[in-house]
Amino acid sequence: MEPVRSEFSRGRSTLASLRIAILQFLADPQWLIPSMIAPVVFALVSYELFRGSGPYFLTYAILGAGMMSMWGQTLYGSGWATSQDREFGTLEPTIQSPTPYLYVILGRVLWNVLSGLFGGLIVYVVIVAASGGPPALPDPLGFALLFVFVMLSLASVGVVFAAFYVYTRYAGFIQNIGEFAFYVGTGCMFPVVLLPFWTNPISLVFPPTWGLDALRYLAIPGYRGFGWGFWLDLLGALGTTLAYLAIAGSIFHRVERHVLEEGNLSQY
Amino acid sequence: MSGHSFAIETRGVTRVFDSRKGFLFREVSHTEALKGVDLAVEQGAIFGLLGPNGAGKTTLTKILSTLLLPTGGRALVLGHDVVTDAEWLRPRIGLVLGGERGLYNRISGRENLRYFADLYGLPTAERERRIDEILARVDLSSAADRRVEEYSRGMKQKLHLARGILLRPQVLFLDEPTIGLDPKSARETRKLVRSLVADGVTIFLTTHYMFEAEELCPQLAILSKGRIVARDTVARLRQLVGGDRTLEAEAYGFEDTEVSALRRLPGVSKIIEEEYGPRTRLTLRVRTDEVRPDDVRALLPDHPELEVKERRTSLEDVYLDLVEEEAH
Repeated sequence: MEPVRSEFSRGRSTLASLRIAILQFLADPQWLIPSMIAPVVFALVSYELFRGSGPYFLTYAILGAGMMSMWGQTLYGSGWATSQDREFGTLEPTIQSPTPYLYVILGRVLWNVLSGLFGGLIVYVVIVAASGGPPALPDPLGFALLFVFVMLSLASVGVVFAAFYVYTRYAGFIQNIGEFAFYVGTGCMFPVVLLPFWTNPISLVFPPTWGLDALRYLAIPGYRGFGWGFWLDLLGALGTTLAYLAIAGSIFHRVERHVLEEGNLSQY
Repeated sequence: MSGHSFAIETRGVTRVFDSRKGFLFREVSHTEALKGVDLAVEQGAIFGLLGPNGAGKTTLTKILSTLLLPTGGRALVLGHDVVTDAEWLRPRIGLVLGGERGLYNRISGRENLRYFADLYGLPTAERERRIDEILARVDLSSAADRRVEEYSRGMKQKLHLARGILLRPQVLFLDEPTIGLDPKSARETRKLVRSLVADGVTIFLTTHYMFEAEELCPQLAILSKGRIVARDTVARLRQLVGGDRTLEAEAYGFEDTEVSALRRLPGVSKIIEEEYGPRTRLTLRVRTDEVRPDDVRALLPDHPELEVKERRTSLEDVYLDLVEEEAH
């Protein structure tokens, strides 16, 4: 019997991982709550709370509320999926395949970004319906494009975080400790400049801090943020995102080696 | 390593697991799961690895299938090092770890196979045809589009097997493939294993079912506490523990002098004494045809309740003798 020639490719593996993430999502309706329903609920609550605060501040509040529920899915979704792989016992056959695990993660990250964006779109539609018109935005197209980029930058951190889920079954514990700190520290809820100054350098290590600040420049006329302007924020977001992707590429190889040394792939 | 091209060859493979407990003050303990394993498996053969729970069978299987790094020694599969050539090896080997886990339960069996076919790099043009072919081979065609969570244990095991042979591996590692299966499913699995060997696949099978090893594996090794305690054909292993024939004498206790007399019978190589409540069983391993049950009865005249049975030494006898010897 002739063995089949393997035509493994990174792109194909990433698409396969994206496909199975979608199939798993469709098979398990509970994921609708964090990815689709919660953003709408948070956004509607913000709308009711801040409807008298001026049109731009209202947009800003809705953005923060919507992000509050979407960011977790985007940031930790791929890590949770790895945790599930441990629980299902599918981490071993996946690691044993010729595909480097990073590309499995990338497929999941893609899905998490897509579902985050879809959640954002639903928030937008619901707010338009509730307020009788689109939220006040000086540059709607620029805002939409930047929003997509912020989700991608968030996902780049998610790829690095996912490595911890491969590394140890205790990654969820670390995530629970850091979850709220990350949310506040990157400026999802309010600008980072409002936090004590010593926290700012830590916040700037994360791409979403830069991206969210840039989003606020586009959403709120007269916004000052860190004071260095929209373009530098954008450049910072791009630079840190690329840095995270480079880190991910480097650490995944080591993490895979580590788990083969430890032999803890089937533990959960 | 030797010049002969084996499908699998290991030299002095060791594996130590560290386990840690405590949070602030960590305590590390070491468990030596493999203590220098030497093996050689011919191409196209079924090789059985027998051993009790915790003997190190799964650890060795995982090392050979590139899922675990050895602490020491060297392991080659298809002539390639499992540590340094893992990328080369992975598309050429299959791994089937038994049990309920290892599958995506909420999607269908077919989707599970599609996913792993893509990860393993099964050519796209061939994918659907190959999946259909394999599903038919493991008799899962009619259930292919049902969610895996609706599958029975046997069906899940078949799906594990299907995944293991997706890429027509040259070496297939089967870790306890029939554990927990009903007799019919287990028989079908063994039939499939035999058909794979007919296709030229080398099979490395771990099991603790003696009859399975005896039925499937011309060559086998017994692993106990991380060491290979014996490695040969079933027939030669029988000789190793004292012979092809076994005589069992059972009564309410025996005198030492009686046991010594039995030991002096020509061809008796070993006597194992076991107590079952009030009764004692003497198991005699016999190398020749010279000793018959009547010879045993003649030496034990003071036991009216004596029962003597003759049977062929089973692989289970061999296994128990060797594992027991290792334990002492």
